[in-house]
Amino acid sequence: MKMNAVAIVPLLFVSLVPLCLRGQAVEKDSTRYIEEVRVQGKGKRKMETPLKMTISVDEFLASSQHISFIKRGAYAWEPLLNNMGSERSNLTIDGMHIFGACTDKMDPITSYVESNNLATIEINLGQAGSMHGATVAGGIDLKRRNTAFAAAKTWSGAYQTGMEANNKQFFNLGNVAYADQRFVAEGSFSVRKAGNYSDGNGATVRHSQYNKFNSSVGLAYKTSEQSSLRLDAIFDRAKDVGFPALPMDLWLSRAIITSATYKQLFEAGLVKAWESKVYYNAIEHYMDDTTRPENLVHMDMPGWSTTYGLLSKLTLQRERYASDIQINAFENVSIAEMRMYPQDRSRQTMFAYSWPWVTTRYGGLSMNNSWAFSEISQIHFGGSLGLHENYSKYIEFNRIFHPGASQNKTRVLPSLHTRYELQVKDFLLEAGLGYGHRAPSVSEGYGYYIYNSFDRYDYIGNPDLRNEVSYEGNARISYRKEKFNVDAQANYFHIRHYIIGRILGLGSPMNYQSVGVKGYTSLRYARLFNVSVKGDYTISKHLHWNGILTYARAQDDNGGNLPFIRPLSYQTALHYGHGPFGLQTAVNGDFLHRNYSPEFGEDQTPAYTIWNISADYSFALMKWKGNLQVGAENIFDAYYSTYADWGNIPRMGRNVFASLRISF
Amino acid sequence: MMTSAILCMAISSCTKDKTDYKAEIDTAVTEHLQFKEAARFVKDGYTIRINTLNGTFYKGYNEVRVTLEQGSSAVQPEEVYCLPIFTDAQAQQTTGPHGYKLQQQVDSGYFSSYIVFTEESQVGGEWQLYMRFSIGGTTYRLNEPVQVVQQANKNLNMTRFTGSDGELYVIALISPQKPRIAENQLVAGIYRFNRAIGTPAPAEFPDPEQFSYEVVQGYTLKLDPRMPEPSMGNHSSPNNEDLNQRDDGRYYGVVNYTMTGNWTLNFILLNQLGEAVKGTVVPNDFTPGVNGVKSELYLDILF
Repeated sequence: MKMNAVAIVPLLFVSLVPLCLRGQAVEKDSTRYIEEVRVQGKGKRKMETPLKMTISVDEFLASSQHISFIKRGAYAWEPLLNNMGSERSNLTIDGMHIFGACTDKMDPITSYVESNNLATIEINLGQAGSMHGATVAGGIDLKRRNTAFAAAKTWSGAYQTGMEANNKQFFNLGNVAYADQRFVAEGSFSVRKAGNYSDGNGATVRHSQYNKFNSSVGLAYKTSEQSSLRLDAIFDRAKDVGFPALPMDLWLSRAIITSATYKQLFEAGLVKAWESKVYYNAIEHYMDDTTRPENLVHMDMPGWSTTYGLLSKLTLQRERYASDIQINAFENVSIAEMRMYPQDRSRQTMFAYSWPWVTTRYGGLSMNNSWAFSEISQIHFGGSLGLHENYSKYIEFNRIFHPGASQNKTRVLPSLHTRYELQVKDFLLEAGLGYGHRAPSVSEGYGYYIYNSFDRYDYIGNPDLRNEVSYEGNARISYRKEKFNVDAQANYFHIRHYIIGRILGLGSPMNYQSVGVKGYTSLRYARLFNVSVKGDYTISKHLHWNGILTYARAQDDNGGNLPFIRPLSYQTALHYGHGPFGLQTAVNGDFLHRNYSPEFGEDQTPAYTIWNISADYSFALMKWKGNLQVGAENIFDAYYSTYADWGNIPRMGRNVFASLRISF
Repeated sequence: MMTSAILCMAISSCTKDKTDYKAEIDTAVTEHLQFKEAARFVKDGYTIRINTLNGTFYKGYNEVRVTLEQGSSAVQPEEVYCLPIFTDAQAQQTTGPHGYKLQQQVDSGYFSSYIVFTEESQVGGEWQLYMRFSIGGTTYRLNEPVQVVQQANKNLNMTRFTGSDGELYVIALISPQKPRIAENQLVAGIYRFNRAIGTPAPAEFPDPEQFSYEVVQGYTLKLDPRMPEPSMGNHSSPNNEDLNQRDDGRYYGVVNYTMTGNWTLNFILLNQLGEAVKGTVVPNDFTPGVNGVKSELYLDILF
């Protein structure tokens, strides 16, 4: 994989080891690429943070300076990239598009994978993330674990177990892989079960429990010296998941994510590799409120999302020029229903679609190029052109609010981006520009009375919304010396036709907790600015420090604040390692949320600081390798909630955790 | 093995079935599209057939189609009249809105009109159809009882009330029989009773002048649809249009139903001068937990 990706999350971890990924000559870079196609993912990066080795996908993403989260409870956080919601970013698994089946975004696709079936998460900011489809904020690609063929028969695997005291979470994760010259088989499973957590005041946060099972299998067969076929499947099931910030909970969700990939490598010539994948995934997600007897109205909200797709990618390389060209195509059908029950259950129930069978089809061609035209400078450029079509089977729902709305809507989604890199001694300087369109999401286009418990409005989509058009500029400067590294990045987005919910003068709420109806409308424009500074320092052989500072500011066309924009925030960690022992402590927090948006139900969230600590011990057990870790998060039991916690639901108080990992 | 097991799980149907949208609306509403024979009378060798939707006379609005036969061959009368009379337990006679003279539909070969039955047939309350038709200059009269049953489809509900002007009105829903969660064209008939002059003299064939309604002309029926159940807080919908009269005499408007269930069509009837004849404004408040306020003039529907 070429490292023209703007950010790869594990850098945070890997950067402790001097690993100069940037500024390498492209030639070297692509050699690495070819190697990596063959030995993919083998012990390269770890889905863990320095503080905690057995983490959830959400916790792992949280360690990136580009990601923040909207949280409705302890489970399935919605990742925000560059402070933009999931409809503005491309969330993919190995390039595959998957769409959550919950109208309330209670199932971002990160909730359907598990840390032990992922190798890493690749984040590309802005239009550089358009490789897998149109985007504004960028792309988050979850890379699945992918064991390489081996010269000799090899078994490998790991087992992790542990508990977290605060919410009585117990988890067991296992994975095993077999590889020989022609064949690879691997599988993983994980079981997590957690009860309600307690906040910093020791009060139980009701409806914050969850129960997740995940498993995956992968089979690869080497069809020739230069080609292989791989089949993958992930099955995920979550049950009895509480959402304290919502009036309802998840009874059950299931996801099946499957793909078949054929890969052909070429020794000579311009084309180095050709990889094609067909995929299918299906999600069912059933929310209801049977656990909330206090609710006035009993309600069911089942949702289904099915996606078929294919992608085909050519990797080209000649001398100092390298290119990826990819075709993406998918079709998704999203269906969501709501059924309300009158107090007198013998009476007729009330039914409507909140997603009236909405089909989305996309086909596009994407390209990323890099050309190192001198020893110290290179240019990256690329773009994509996509055709995007929506079809609403029951368009009459949408026409209630938008009479005459089109049943079929076809959009052209172009994207262009370029970035220039200059290496001057220990400094790396980068500057880039981007331009791209995105289509409204299913909810923004076709959503029908989707209750948002944050601002307590029912949301209505508009099928004829214009494309959101993003103009972006970014810059980066990083300095790297042997022991010291500092990296500052900034980006600015000017987004025309920014889609957001505005109070409608029409209609009245459907959900009894709602206060009104909002319709998705386009602002003339909105502006977002993100800046982050990241540093690490090797103080001594045993002592490392790292830290991140981020700030963002976003305004609409009237100078009003946009919601869910992270205030000034920081994370910093100190790691001490000596032989088999490790000790780390980390502090993170947000400053006062000054620029909040009352219009979207936000209030001013006070500053908070959380202190975490952990210790680990590595040992050998015959042929096996063991790690034992104990630690505590929020050791001072701070009572806090973040700017993006729905309903100001307090976060977890002190949480002592312990885990054991055995690997071979 | 594991893969195939997982695939089996995936391909097998979902845990919960998706709602069959068509069947969902069918559960509350049966739509009748077929005209069938509701009554057959014989008079002097002529057979008179009256066809209605589903072959039944319902309380509320009924379209009636009449054909005549002599033996097995159809005959075309010159004129057909029909007067429905309800006789209650006190032998009081009343009628409902109706088109006394049936319109000849040349292409279809039948005579058509409408009858709004304002009561169901019951013990001590009976409907009679007084019919008159002419063939070749000869006029035939007959009167026959008919059975009027409850209209199970609330979308064809009706109401009868006295307006602020002291007149007796009937509002009967004509369409849609089966609404959708959508914009629906709402069609209603609005009728005013023509007061009988003096007391009708008993006669073998009642005087139609004494038993008539007229279609009110140029009124406006203001519409405010709500979901009155406590769970719905008197929820309303956007983009509705008040009912106004068209050339065919009926009143047309637009009602948007945002979900299935119980709805109330709250009305205010305005005369040509824009004065309220009946009906009150429903507050816009969203009131979950209590029964929704209704206008004093309303019809309940369910789909």
